[in-house]
Amino acid sequence: MHSYSLIFFGKNNLLALILLIITFFDLYTGLAGLTAVLVTTITAYLIGLNETNIRLGNYGFNALLVGLGLGIQFQPELPFFVVLVFAALLTLFITIALEGILRKYTIPYLTFPFLFAIWIIALATRYYEALEISERGIYTLNFMHKWGGHLFVDIYKWFNNIPLPGSLIIYFKSLGAIFFQYNLLAGMIIAIGLVLHSRISFMHSLIGYYGAYLFYLFIGANINELNYNFIGFNYILTAIAIGGFFIIPSIYSILWIILLIPIISLIITSGSIILEPWQLPVYSLAFNVVVGMFLYMMLIRTRFYEKPAITSVQLYSPEKNLYYQRNSEERFAHHKYFPFILPVMDEWSISQGYNGEITHKQEWRHALDFVITDETGSPFDSNGYSKEDYYCFNKPVIASAAATVEEVIDGIEDNAIGDMNLSNNWGNTVILKHMDNLYTKYSHLKRDSIQVKKGDNVGKGDLIAAVGNSGRSPEPHLHFQVQNTPFVGSKTIPYPISHFILNEDSNYSLQSYKVPKKDQKVSNVENQPLLTKAFHFIPGQHLHYKVTKPNNEQIDFEWEVMSNMYNQVYIYCHQTGSRAFLLNDGGIHYFTHFEGDKDTLLFYFYLAFYKVPLGFYKKLKVTDKLPINILKNSSIKVLQDFIAPFYLFINTAFELFYLKKTEDFTRNKIELESQYRHSVFGKLMGKVDFKAQLKDGAIDKLEIDKEGGVTVVKKIQT
Amino acid sequence: MEKKRYERPVIKRLETGVPAKFGRPQKPEIMSDIDGVSVESLVNQFGSPLYVYSEKQIRDKYRKAYKAFSTRYPKVQFAWSYKTNYLGAICNVFHQEGSWAEVVSGFEYDKARALGVEGSKIIFNGPDKSVEDLEKAIKNDSPIHIDHLDELYTLIELSGKAGKKPSVAIRINMDTGIYPRWDRFGFNYENGQAWDALNKIMHSGKLELIGLHTHIGTFMLSTEAYRVAAIKMADLARGLKDKFNHKIKYIDMGGGFATANTLKGSYLPGDDITPSIEDFAEAITSALVNAHFSTDELPVLVLESGRALIDEAGYMIGTVLANKRLATGQRATIADIGVNLLFTSFWYEHKVKPAQEVTQFTEPSKIYGPLCMNIDIMRDNIELPLLNKGDRFVVHHTGAYNNTQWLQFITLRPNVVMIDENGQPHLIREKESLEDIKKLEQIPEHLRNFEL
Repeated sequence: MHSYSLIFFGKNNLLALILLIITFFDLYTGLAGLTAVLVTTITAYLIGLNETNIRLGNYGFNALLVGLGLGIQFQPELPFFVVLVFAALLTLFITIALEGILRKYTIPYLTFPFLFAIWIIALATRYYEALEISERGIYTLNFMHKWGGHLFVDIYKWFNNIPLPGSLIIYFKSLGAIFFQYNLLAGMIIAIGLVLHSRISFMHSLIGYYGAYLFYLFIGANINELNYNFIGFNYILTAIAIGGFFIIPSIYSILWIILLIPIISLIITSGSIILEPWQLPVYSLAFNVVVGMFLYMMLIRTRFYEKPAITSVQLYSPEKNLYYQRNSEERFAHHKYFPFILPVMDEWSISQGYNGEITHKQEWRHALDFVITDETGSPFDSNGYSKEDYYCFNKPVIASAAATVEEVIDGIEDNAIGDMNLSNNWGNTVILKHMDNLYTKYSHLKRDSIQVKKGDNVGKGDLIAAVGNSGRSPEPHLHFQVQNTPFVGSKTIPYPISHFILNEDSNYSLQSYKVPKKDQKVSNVENQPLLTKAFHFIPGQHLHYKVTKPNNEQIDFEWEVMSNMYNQVYIYCHQTGSRAFLLNDGGIHYFTHFEGDKDTLLFYFYLAFYKVPLGFYKKLKVTDKLPINILKNSSIKVLQDFIAPFYLFINTAFELFYLKKTEDFTRNKIELESQYRHSVFGKLMGKVDFKAQLKDGAIDKLEIDKEGGVTVVKKIQT
Repeated sequence: MEKKRYERPVIKRLETGVPAKFGRPQKPEIMSDIDGVSVESLVNQFGSPLYVYSEKQIRDKYRKAYKAFSTRYPKVQFAWSYKTNYLGAICNVFHQEGSWAEVVSGFEYDKARALGVEGSKIIFNGPDKSVEDLEKAIKNDSPIHIDHLDELYTLIELSGKAGKKPSVAIRINMDTGIYPRWDRFGFNYENGQAWDALNKIMHSGKLELIGLHTHIGTFMLSTEAYRVAAIKMADLARGLKDKFNHKIKYIDMGGGFATANTLKGSYLPGDDITPSIEDFAEAITSALVNAHFSTDELPVLVLESGRALIDEAGYMIGTVLANKRLATGQRATIADIGVNLLFTSFWYEHKVKPAQEVTQFTEPSKIYGPLCMNIDIMRDNIELPLLNKGDRFVVHHTGAYNNTQWLQFITLRPNVVMIDENGQPHLIREKESLEDIKKLEQIPEHLRNFEL
């Protein structure tokens, strides 16, 4: 089935079914297409090619096109079908060969295999006398009458006579032409299928087509070329491919499509002249060449992160790609950073931040100074005349990530309060190397407090020294900076802390990949053992839950944690086949995306634990956004799909609160509350509330409060 | 014009300002208010004598102490020592700050439960736990700290009955280089008793060993002793890991940190010689951190500090009843606070400050309490300014042990108030009345009537 929908870059069974029916408008053509798909699929399977690719239809869609192309041309007799089988095989070979050649450039083979195969066969079959050229493609009405009587002919005529603008008729015909069905009805049905599959694709097909139409008008080219040769589909396919499949839809992708139209036109026109001596049609040559070249160009950009963005995870739907990409950009943009924790234990204050007014200037502006302050904000007890009065003095300094000790400087006397040592201005210092070109530096340490020596390996959070008052430090504090080079005087680079807790007047919030600011009170996320264990999903682990629905109906669910060859971990529901993909970065558990039926327990599980920090902080509120494609289809969503490349008006928000923790040496229980809200233009449209209970190292109970009552999910002890 | 205050005549050696060995002569400090509430208004409202607690000072002290440990060690848990002060309001301030409860009797256990502390957050210490107490503790999942082998055997027996493994720790005593050595509690580290008890627990299979506990002494003026103790505790914990592959969940270092009070017989005042809580924290945590526990087996550090957290937040307001001169010629002041209410005056030389204006002249005096008992001496020898009958004074550092060891002896026990963080006093324990005492008494029928 996927071979059918893949032609429109989809993985949608409904679209596939519609397309399948279209091909059977002409029985033998349809049959030929189907045969070709079956032959390649079965062969690919028997040979032992990658099953995922086979199932996705990656090997089938070119053969399908070849089958259709041949089916419309020849009489359906035995010799034809024999040739067809080998044509399909040839297509498969070409596909595999092209895949191998193009993989190196990470560009897709598109419908190049179809082109080569059909050209080869077209040339060869001229000398196969057993094959009879079919006239069905030319005398459509006669054949219709023969197969379906008057009624068919009438319907066909009626459709062809619908008073539509000429341009639209050509559009529909062009759509039909992709499947070698040069009629209006087929085109219209395909258009409907396309809308059902993806609004964005549909919109792009119109943009591509009308762009071309206007260009032909402007340049004075023969508009009939569009019509008679049915090569309009080159524009349509290019628009869909670029606008929604390989590239994340946005205003930039649309601009590119418009820019590419004249290029396609050039290739079509010149291509047909070159091919003329052999009497071969250009088919989708222009589409293949332009899309291939364009993608290659996009992929080798040095500023690859700029717009238009390339689809990183292919979800086979422009809408999903767009929503997922937007969402993960917000959620995971920071994962490119090396995760550093704060270099201290418990809560500290930032006495000087980036671009500080005292010493964090110029090349050394991206540094942080840490001190401990009390309730009144003072960094010292009693009068502050001695170093020991300062809360931070002699407190442990810890490694902010695993590292090798690059440099140690010790032996510099701690200053008296108010004094500064300008000749050794960094004082006692440790520099850690985390990876090539990534170092952290800890300065003004207490003399003789350094616990590590050059070349030592230290783990994240290991004690390295104590805070002191050496170097250019009139008051005890810790100076922390990230740098690219291993030297004591190296310039600083801006670099965020992976996760930390910010305390603003006893309101705690989780900050991820941010730089603490001056006067903020910050502490590391202290992972809580129960949360850590409950959200540590190990592939192979089984989860059993009993669900009690509002009507007291009870169902047992069994899930399994699995991993795939991309090292992604997901929870798989055996009953429903749905999957919830997850990610645990050691500090936070995330569900990254969901595949399958949205009426399942697993989907609500995904919603309830969309983002869970593994440290427990009372009053901590966590917020996040969900991708819009998790919503069920509705007219609002369809509307959103159309304008999604430009603006999102649907808001899907997630919030999580920590309620209560009973954690001691003999009992361990945590209560969480989370909620999911979706609103349109700020108006609340749907909500689900969750209450969860964790104990014995697992999620023990989940209450799902949605429309229609409360569903209770309870872990089954095994 | 206000009438001038009477000042009795006093004969004093002329002091010319030359420093003596104690430094320059100091003008007596006056304390006319506590946390901004005037002593006079407190007495007018609640009477004298009066116990006064400052909620703000308790919280400040707790937070500083917690921070001293938590900025040095990632897992810290305080447990409020009930015997130090188990007034409900006091306990609740600590519980609000996150402190658990540490109790040493069935009564204290019930008191903590009544205040709403979950059983699993009550650490049950002490040599005296009845079978009923232990059963209760097992049922509520409270950590039980075993003091002696007899208790160990009782628990093994009870474990079978309860059908549930009691969660236990053992108390260790050891030589930390200080005198006196507390060897009456728990099992000795050096002579092998500790390992004997640990082996018995591990081999019994009936008890869940979750922690190790020590409490090396009280009013400790040495931080080094804690370092030694922490090293020995860590050694035991790692020994258990090696021998039984058993990870304990916590190491309880007890308490015993000294306060700013001056012990009797001390040459220098307590303020000057007491290590700060930071110093104690440094000694304990550096020993534990250097023990190189792996991250997942790092035990929680439990602290049962009582005195150090509450002593300095408690005050007593008293009134001068009379002045007299003793046969020795020494001045004596009789006050309404005696050893019945200020039990700690047996150990400490409490600081006493007048609550109203006085001149700079002081006289060596004795302060007697109101009891008709010779031993009722609050301060044996104190440089006291010239106080008159009816004058108020404030006794410092009275927060620990006085409201648990006070006596209903000769007089009734007075009001206790707490000044909240907004400077508002609240009565937290009402003064006793005759009815309260009579209520508990029963007079047999034949003793009901008499004729004089």
